[in-house]
Amino acid sequence: MSAAFWSMGGYARYVWPCMALAGVVLAWNLWSARAYRDAARQRARRALAMSPGETA
Amino acid sequence: MNVGVFEAFTLVVRRELCLSFRRPEQLLQPLVFFLIVTTLFPLGLSLQLSLLRDMSPGVLWVAALLSSLLSLDALFKGDADDGTLEQLALSGQGLMVIVVAKTCAHWLVTGAALVLVSPVVGTALGIPVAAFATMMLSLGVGTLTLSWLGAIGAGLTVGLKRGNVLLSLIVLPLAMPLLIFGAGATDRAISGTNAAGALYFLAALCVFTCTLAPFAATAALRITLE
Amino acid sequence: MWTWFYKLASPPSVYAAAGALAPWFLATAAVAIVYGLVDGLVFAPPDYQQGDAFRIVYVHAPSAWMSLFSYTSMALAGAIALVWRIKIGHAVAAASAPIGASFTLLALVTGSLWGKPMWGTYWAWDPRLTSELILLFLYFGVMSLRSAFEDPARGDRAAALLGIVGLVNVPIIHFSVTWWNSLHQGATVAKIGKPAMSLSMLWPLLAMLLGFMLFYGAVLCMRLQGEVLNRERQAKWVREAIKS
Repeated sequence: MSAAFWSMGGYARYVWPCMALAGVVLAWNLWSARAYRDAARQRARRALAMSPGETA
Repeated sequence: MNVGVFEAFTLVVRRELCLSFRRPEQLLQPLVFFLIVTTLFPLGLSLQLSLLRDMSPGVLWVAALLSSLLSLDALFKGDADDGTLEQLALSGQGLMVIVVAKTCAHWLVTGAALVLVSPVVGTALGIPVAAFATMMLSLGVGTLTLSWLGAIGAGLTVGLKRGNVLLSLIVLPLAMPLLIFGAGATDRAISGTNAAGALYFLAALCVFTCTLAPFAATAALRITLE
Repeated sequence: MWTWFYKLASPPSVYAAAGALAPWFLATAAVAIVYGLVDGLVFAPPDYQQGDAFRIVYVHAPSAWMSLFSYTSMALAGAIALVWRIKIGHAVAAASAPIGASFTLLALVTGSLWGKPMWGTYWAWDPRLTSELILLFLYFGVMSLRSAFEDPARGDRAAALLGIVGLVNVPIIHFSVTWWNSLHQGATVAKIGKPAMSLSMLWPLLAMLLGFMLFYGAVLCMRLQGEVLNRERQAKWVREAIKS
């Protein structure tokens, strides 16, 4: 990768933070969605363990 | 007793008006709030009347929106808490008649009252007398629209403990077009240009909202009360 | 006639389908986004007016598009749930809201970072940025309304109604902000010309758009699984579904 690419024609200050932020937002989405799903699974598992006989 | 739709409407409006005139402090509070907020701006900004005049449409409209919102929280709350609303809903008249009547009554005691007070505030902010007619007209139409938007929000938040802040959070973004066209019309009237365009937009918004919002507000109440 | 639809929209099949689809969405999204970024940042020529700063479009435009797309899908899913009482719609709406809000925030921040070199200021009351900001407020309203109710079913329906009201308002807001802008905005904001994009610039943009859509699909599927589980904790099928 050349220095010209990283300098983005002098706009590096603006272009790269945008890309980084996009990366952060995408990563946050993945992480939070996974955390949300896993927490729901955990909760459902706990609820099942509490009442093993009952199946409504 | 069999009551027609129109009769039910007037009965509820009369009841609402009667209730608010019996407690005048509740009637006056939004107006005083309106006056105080518009006083705050000159104190915080500048005493120069010319500068104030440039800011005045925005100041006037923001203050009007906020003070109208202030009383919206109570639109359905009192009657929902003591069960009156359910009784009214069961009275054989559709819930919508009651919603329409209550919202109209709300506009009469806040919006219309704001319109009547606005010349005083307008004078204090340096708005020329020639612009008063446009200012009052836009405020009247705008606050009516806001009462309707607020009725949706009040219906959605009626069962909640801290619904007041949430109500503002819900209603204010929806009210931004009102602010834009209302303040725009007032601004044009002050500068002496033709304000008709903005007023037409405001009127169109009002008609649109008054047509659809009764359904939305009734549906909202059904969701939160059932 | 509609039974197949109801079966398809039933929580267990949605849960299973979402679980099966998520990795595929994610993989294709990754391919599209990597291609779009490489092509857009390396190979696409710089814009003749904006130089390399225009490359921000490759994340700004897709996120702005996604902010509207997820609001629309949230409102429509809520409307379907409200009108036909298909409960899965509420789960879709609830899953869609935080994703859309995050994309809205991304669109705002990248737009503002783009504005600095182009307009000379981080924030201009540009109609599109302003509408985007109001859209973010609408998201906040819907999300806080949903969580404000103790009874989740009631919160779902209230949020669905507010979403529909907001959806009706979005075009009005955009129009009024544009009108207001034409009234107030002087020459401070240099009007950025919109020349027809050359194909070498357009392809990566389309790839990014597709990639963001697929990514939204993947995240929506994962969140949807969580929402369905939270709503159906007592159901019999949950036992089998979470055994693995």
